[in-house]
Amino acid sequence: MVSELKKRQIKYFDYTLLFLVIFLLCFGLVMLYSVSTYDGQVTYGDAAYYLKKQLVYEVVGFLAMLFISFLNHRLFKKFAKLFYGISLILCLLVFTPLGTTHHESRRWLKIGGFEFQPSELLKIAVVLMLAAVISDMPKKVQKFKYVVVLAVMFVLVPTLVVFVSNASTAIIIAIIGFSVIFVANKWYLPFVALLGAGVGAGYLFLQFFAYRMERIEVWKNPEAYDKGYQTMQGLYAIGSGGLFGKGLGNSMQKLGNIPEVQNDMVFAVVCEELGIFGAVCVILLFVLLLWRCMVVAMNAGSLFGSLTVTGIMVHIALQVLLNIAVVTNTIPNTGVTLPFFSYGGTSTMLILAEIGIVLSVSRNIKVDPGAGYEE
Amino acid sequence: MARTKSTKIFTYRMKKKLIVVFAFLIIAFIGLVARLMYIEDVNGDVYERVVLSQQAYDSSTIAYRRGDITDSKGTLLATSVDVYNLVLDAYVINSRDAYIDPSVTAVVECYGDELKESDIRDILQNKPNSRYNILIKRMSYENMRLLYDMMNDGEHPLVKGLWFEKEYIRVYPYGNLADGVIGFTKNDGSGMSGLESYYEDYLTGVNGRTFGYLNTDSDYERTTKPAIDGGTVVCTIDVNLQSIVEDKIHEFAEVYRNNYRDGAGAENIGVIIMNPKTGAVMAMADYPDFDLSNPRDLSAYYTDEEISAMDDDEMYDALNGIWKNYCISSTYEPGSTAKPFTVACGLDTGSLKGDEVYLCDGGQHVADYYIRCVNIYGHGMETLEGALMDSCNDALMQMADAIGISNFTTYQRLFGFGLRTNIDIPGEARTDSLVYTADNMKPIDLATNSFGQTFNTTMIQLITGFSSLINGGYMYQPYVVSEVVSPGGQLLMHKSPEVLKQTIARSTSDTLRGYLNKVTSGDGTGHYAKVPGYSMGGKTGTAQMIPRDGINYLVSFIGYLPADDPELVIYCVVDRPNAADQPHSTFAQNIVREILEEALPYLGVYPDEEIPGDDYDPESTNMLTGVAIFSEHAVEVQQTYSASKLITPVAEDTPTEDDTVGDTGDTDELDIDEESAGGSERIEGIPEETAGGDAEAEEDE
Repeated sequence: MVSELKKRQIKYFDYTLLFLVIFLLCFGLVMLYSVSTYDGQVTYGDAAYYLKKQLVYEVVGFLAMLFISFLNHRLFKKFAKLFYGISLILCLLVFTPLGTTHHESRRWLKIGGFEFQPSELLKIAVVLMLAAVISDMPKKVQKFKYVVVLAVMFVLVPTLVVFVSNASTAIIIAIIGFSVIFVANKWYLPFVALLGAGVGAGYLFLQFFAYRMERIEVWKNPEAYDKGYQTMQGLYAIGSGGLFGKGLGNSMQKLGNIPEVQNDMVFAVVCEELGIFGAVCVILLFVLLLWRCMVVAMNAGSLFGSLTVTGIMVHIALQVLLNIAVVTNTIPNTGVTLPFFSYGGTSTMLILAEIGIVLSVSRNIKVDPGAGYEE
Repeated sequence: MARTKSTKIFTYRMKKKLIVVFAFLIIAFIGLVARLMYIEDVNGDVYERVVLSQQAYDSSTIAYRRGDITDSKGTLLATSVDVYNLVLDAYVINSRDAYIDPSVTAVVECYGDELKESDIRDILQNKPNSRYNILIKRMSYENMRLLYDMMNDGEHPLVKGLWFEKEYIRVYPYGNLADGVIGFTKNDGSGMSGLESYYEDYLTGVNGRTFGYLNTDSDYERTTKPAIDGGTVVCTIDVNLQSIVEDKIHEFAEVYRNNYRDGAGAENIGVIIMNPKTGAVMAMADYPDFDLSNPRDLSAYYTDEEISAMDDDEMYDALNGIWKNYCISSTYEPGSTAKPFTVACGLDTGSLKGDEVYLCDGGQHVADYYIRCVNIYGHGMETLEGALMDSCNDALMQMADAIGISNFTTYQRLFGFGLRTNIDIPGEARTDSLVYTADNMKPIDLATNSFGQTFNTTMIQLITGFSSLINGGYMYQPYVVSEVVSPGGQLLMHKSPEVLKQTIARSTSDTLRGYLNKVTSGDGTGHYAKVPGYSMGGKTGTAQMIPRDGINYLVSFIGYLPADDPELVIYCVVDRPNAADQPHSTFAQNIVREILEEALPYLGVYPDEEIPGDDYDPESTNMLTGVAIFSEHAVEVQQTYSASKLITPVAEDTPTEDDTVGDTGDTDELDIDEESAGGSERIEGIPEETAGGDAEAEEDE
């Protein structure tokens, strides 16, 4: 009887999400090629230099994504604690001689010739760890004391570890943790209060303490500082694009004006070449992606799966939001890449791995006509 | 178990909260879209303009190519060759660590013997942001290709910040040839002297430019405005003729080097060959000369010690000495080559009928001076023809007396003395203050002027005037450039022969030519210059120089051929030949003859006379003969140089007493005898009375 029931069940897989990802990857590659041809030609004598390397990263990442999507998501729960522990240790190793410095920031770890940012790993680790702990004891999460312990152990600690070297990643971790815990328990008010307190603290910080911080000054008045050059060039690109842009490939700002345009500033060139229209389309694609994540989270068969996907959704959303906010000078400049568009191996592969986890969770959705939410 | 299970699912409340989170994210996205629109709306126009203004409308100059100078047959005398500077852009190389080593290694690999690796690294380290450092100057195209090919073979993508700058350098394929005419260029490529300077406007082109701009669709475009190259200047000079002339001059200078005094074979030697029917200069050469490619090299004339001891002024003087074109820039008293002018003046004014006979008694009293003829015993009775053949001063003074000061000075101007010819070479000397006018000429001046002393001329003036005496009286504008052609073949300038004036009547010219033809005959003073088999005319000159101590002379010969219808005039001046006994025009005559012997067959001029038979002894007319006769010292010199194939030994033909006497009679003249009646003091005063003061002064403009 039970086996018959199982046979009747339709195997679910979120193809919408998969195709959205494929579309974003292709669109991202086209834009990256457009953005990086000049720099590739000038620096490496090969217009497709960045395209080729990014293509390799994406193919590897895509295969990894497919591989992960076939794994049972309960496997992630098993290794969540180990993964979290290792990630935290790696983040601490940055402060040892193994850490390396680029652009005046000590964020990288060099092990065996391979260089990466362990804080990127920590983002996923925090999501998996929180989801694992909460899904093991959903009752306790409704207790305020326990929530505080949870927040300190798995949100505050990693946030502080990362904050020293990488404030933007720390903020992302904090918001992911905040969101996951928010979703997992019954309260609203404490979170609203916390949010209000955070905003108030931020305001006070900017008002009274931040005036000495160069980065804040550059943010307020980018034209007056040398370090505001990249920001201003990005704004020029956005402003000169108009409604429909100059047309794909016709950006002038990518011709050496925006420094490292292929890393964090791709969106500025998207605005310049495709206009506000193109920019909104890109944002809509991401919103669709987030929507699919939400659908998966809502229908996931397990609390672990739902919370994991919630965390991943928030992570992707924050990457996109912060990147666009930086490009539009809405917040001070921090190094946040735009998923699927920016050039970079680690971030691309990790994002694809996260999508793999979401797809893996989506396989667990049981489509049972007339069935409720129970198992 | 069931309870646990129920709490392990994503509850309805959680879903609501998830939607809240999602809603927050959507709101944030909407906020960012609003922000985008705000930027576009508020600053869009401004930013668009900023973007346009930021475009690198960089422009770079494309150097034009300076025009060539060719001889009359198109042989390149001066041309421009492209060379390349290797420029290092330290900023680009330093922009990435990965560029530094490959770039430095590439340069060292290609040009290791020209620069050191440490030098490049010094620039990269000490001037990290410099963008224009010339590492190697003016390398050839082949050398340039070494690195250029390496950078473009696709295997050296990290070799950066190195580029080549094209430049042109001036090359003179024939070295010293026609140095005074062609001139040379300064380091910046502009002409410094000679034709390079005179035709600067034609030779220079217009630099081109490549630049970027935005078209009406705001698309960036690059345009190249090509350089306009300079025009080609075509000379009337003939390279082969010029080479013959210069070879002979050098040969003379070498043979007589250190002969009597230390130093060159003569202070100056100048030769001009001109077409008397057009005024075109076919060859113009002077000594000392210089290497056009290396005009500041004095080593040919001074020792290293002398050069290093020079101060700036001395160096400048020394350089001017070799740079000046003696043929146009130096003034001198012409001596007896002026006599045809005096005779022409007399005939043309009617002062002389042509049948006069003068008695030469060895000298003439003029005012308070006694001026002696070359033959102190007197030539006896002289006709006009005879006076020119013997170069008799006494007869000429009597003619001048008949002509009178007014006619004489008028005709001097008519022949061009005191006036620049305006030949198209810069640096022609002014002689207007070095000749007398009707107002300040005294009888003694008239007398000395009649045989070419106490007034100054330049070689180009004299040959231009002389051409008019023998071509029927037509004075042509002398010129060395016949046309200028643009790189595309357009004629930019063309010069046709231009008659300036008629100096004398055709009949006078014919008569005078008849006289001058006799000068080069067997018993005329100019017979050393005659090339056997060719009819010729001409006049010798031996001018005493200041101080008039009878030591320094300027000897010359001007000749033409064929005798009846001259196609070619040649004028040679030897200033202070390096010999114990200077006053013999044979120095100049020998050079002229040697030149003509080689040049006439080349020019396609055929002998028009019977070649003398056995009685013609060619050895008596070789270059050294003239000297050997007059100077025992020179006989030694001649033997020393007898190995030279162009100089035939005269061992079997040692000069005899008779020859010596005979040749003395043939040579020109001594003029003013200091021991004569007038008293030496007053005679020494004569040069100071010359209109120009120091008549020896050489004016360099």
